[in-house]
Amino acid sequence: MEFSEEKLKKVDEIIARYPEGKQKSALLPVLHLAQEQFGWLSPETMDYVASLLKIEPIEVYEVATFYSMYNLKPVGKYMFEVCQTGPCMIKGSDDIVAYIGERLGIKPGETTSDGLFTLKTVECLGACGYAPMMQMGKHYKEHLTKEKVNAIIEECRRNAATNN
Amino acid sequence: MATGSQAGYQIARTTKIKLSDRNNIADQNMGVKLLLKDAHVEGIRYYDTYRKQGGYAAVEKALKMTPEAIVEEVKKSGLRGRGGAGFPAGMKWSFIAKPEGIPRHLVCNADESEPGTFKDRYLMEFIPHLLIEGLIVSSFALGSNATYIYIRGEYAWIPDILEQAIAEAKANGFLGKNILGSGFDCEIYVQRGAGAYICGEETALIESLEGKRGNPRIKPPFPAVKGVWDRPTVVNNVETLAAVVPIINLGGEEYAKIGVGRSTGTKLISACGNINKPGVYEIDMTISVEEFIYSDEYCGGIANGKRLKACIPGGASVPILPANLLLKTAKGETRYMNYESLSDGGFATGSMMGSGGFIVFDEDQCVVKHTYTLARFYRHESCGQCSPCREGTGWMEKILKNIDTGKGKMSDIDLLWDIQRKIEGNTICPLGDAAAWPVAAAIRHFRDEFEWHVLNPEECQRRNYGLAHYADAREVVA
Ligand SMILES: Cc1cc2nc3c(=O)[nH]c(=O)nc-3n(C[C@H](O)[C@H](O)[C@H](O)COP(=O)(O)O)c2cc1C
Ligand code: SF4
Ligand code: FES
Repeated sequence: MEFSEEKLKKVDEIIARYPEGKQKSALLPVLHLAQEQFGWLSPETMDYVASLLKIEPIEVYEVATFYSMYNLKPVGKYMFEVCQTGPCMIKGSDDIVAYIGERLGIKPGETTSDGLFTLKTVECLGACGYAPMMQMGKHYKEHLTKEKVNAIIEECRRNAATNN
Repeated sequence: MATGSQAGYQIARTTKIKLSDRNNIADQNMGVKLLLKDAHVEGIRYYDTYRKQGGYAAVEKALKMTPEAIVEEVKKSGLRGRGGAGFPAGMKWSFIAKPEGIPRHLVCNADESEPGTFKDRYLMEFIPHLLIEGLIVSSFALGSNATYIYIRGEYAWIPDILEQAIAEAKANGFLGKNILGSGFDCEIYVQRGAGAYICGEETALIESLEGKRGNPRIKPPFPAVKGVWDRPTVVNNVETLAAVVPIINLGGEEYAKIGVGRSTGTKLISACGNINKPGVYEIDMTISVEEFIYSDEYCGGIANGKRLKACIPGGASVPILPANLLLKTAKGETRYMNYESLSDGGFATGSMMGSGGFIVFDEDQCVVKHTYTLARFYRHESCGQCSPCREGTGWMEKILKNIDTGKGKMSDIDLLWDIQRKIEGNTICPLGDAAAWPVAAAIRHFRDEFEWHVLNPEECQRRNYGLAHYADAREVVA
């Protein structure tokens, strides 16, 4: 359990943004880095982050459990986080959630058995004018339709096949 | 209790309207653009183009002024906070404590998580230098040598854009040490959140920036006295800080001439829902709600030829209004897109400008179901510190879900009313109020739609929309 050389440099860079002794402020950004590298935040990962920032493990657990973007269990290679709040709901987000679930054979909160996809419902992502929408990794997929969902799933499958 | 829901179930009339009816409001600044004026210039995201369009002139001008003089200009401009509460920015700045030897900080609130709101994202994504320029000027005015942009974690691609803009500004001498030879040093850092609406509340944001859970603090002390790392801190919204650029360029007095009354300058509105042209618009605050919805320059009318039923004009937490109260005030006067007019009538018959998240509903939309999604949102986002908010939001969600799916009782409507009243005003932070208001307004204005769900338990599951009799059709004539 260790960060890459490059990530360790990044951690130092982030800590330098805050006053002396306030390195705990780096916790959220460093947890993002950890999740990027390990996919999710295991207790071991959280303990490692605590040691990097010289804080107690409990301080990391407290934070990791508060924020919805941190995965406390393993997730699929591709995570579809579909917004279901009002403005997306009136543009048909329920149908999109149901359709993705049907295509992948999973319910919100579940991961496909091949470990490729996780489906999750989330609250407003600040893309209400481009609804229905979902987050996939770092980016947003907006103006979703069934055709678009099909294309995204196909693309993920292709990418996974070529990368393995 | 009245159960006359079916009686009013009829097709509303069509009204012919003429747009641009600005009656008694001065219109010399009609359609003026200050923030988005260059939004469509190719390459405006990059320094060279931004500079060519006159960018960073405000920094050059401001660094020759005193910090006090800048605060004075912002006061004169009448600029009100664009994050939702509308507090005068210049006044907030003048409150910042200046204890000897203790650094002060400016923090830019880019958490943007109020449902319906996506204007800050647009500004940061497409014109990042405008925010950076505003931050440099504001940091100088407040004496902040280390300024932080706290951005919601889900906007994961935007920090790269901002960091590139920061690097460009620095390479050109507008950031870093001794900016333009003024002796002022400033660094701007971008900090990502990790998915928590509550971190938009300024004290929760400060906690989060310190690497903690986003639990709002009890005020006082106010951030202006004890903010991040117990240092004096000013938290302002992205749009507020960007607006400092035109204020410095034009001068506070000139800026104040745009708009009307205490709604000075321009406002970004993110429009969504059942309209033809969802998107982010910059308005001068003299246009009517009717013009905003129906003119081609803005929302372009209701999509699919449907009728307008209701609207939440300022982000999910402000009261929803039925079409008739949206377009005209209770006194029958035209309603305008500004702070005073949108709140005309108080919560009884008005709403609020809020964050500028403008959500439009057509005749097919169900107010009960929509309110349920908002209750679920607030339950999900409550930090859990105060019991009225933690428990009340959960109860409201459950009751609304029952009503929406045909399992509700008439008494549930009164129970909902009772719960929201007991949350409002009884919590540490305003999230409690924000959760209560949408429920209160939905019951206040659409009670017979709630009753219809109770009376028609099967039908309300088959066709999941409410009563169309609230809808109003408008046909634009030349
Ligand atoms: C629950 C809650 C969420 C908020 N979310 C945001 C937000 O996402 N962005 C924002 O600018 N202000 C938000 N605010 C308002 C901030 O607390 C604060 O008033 C604002 O950042 C001040 O900036 P302004 O005066 O420039 O508007 C929120 C307030 C509450 C109570
Ligand atoms: S009102 Fe809700 S969100 Fe605000 S502090 Fe209390 S429990 Fe937390
Ligand atoms: S409601 Fe879905 S992005 Fe805002």
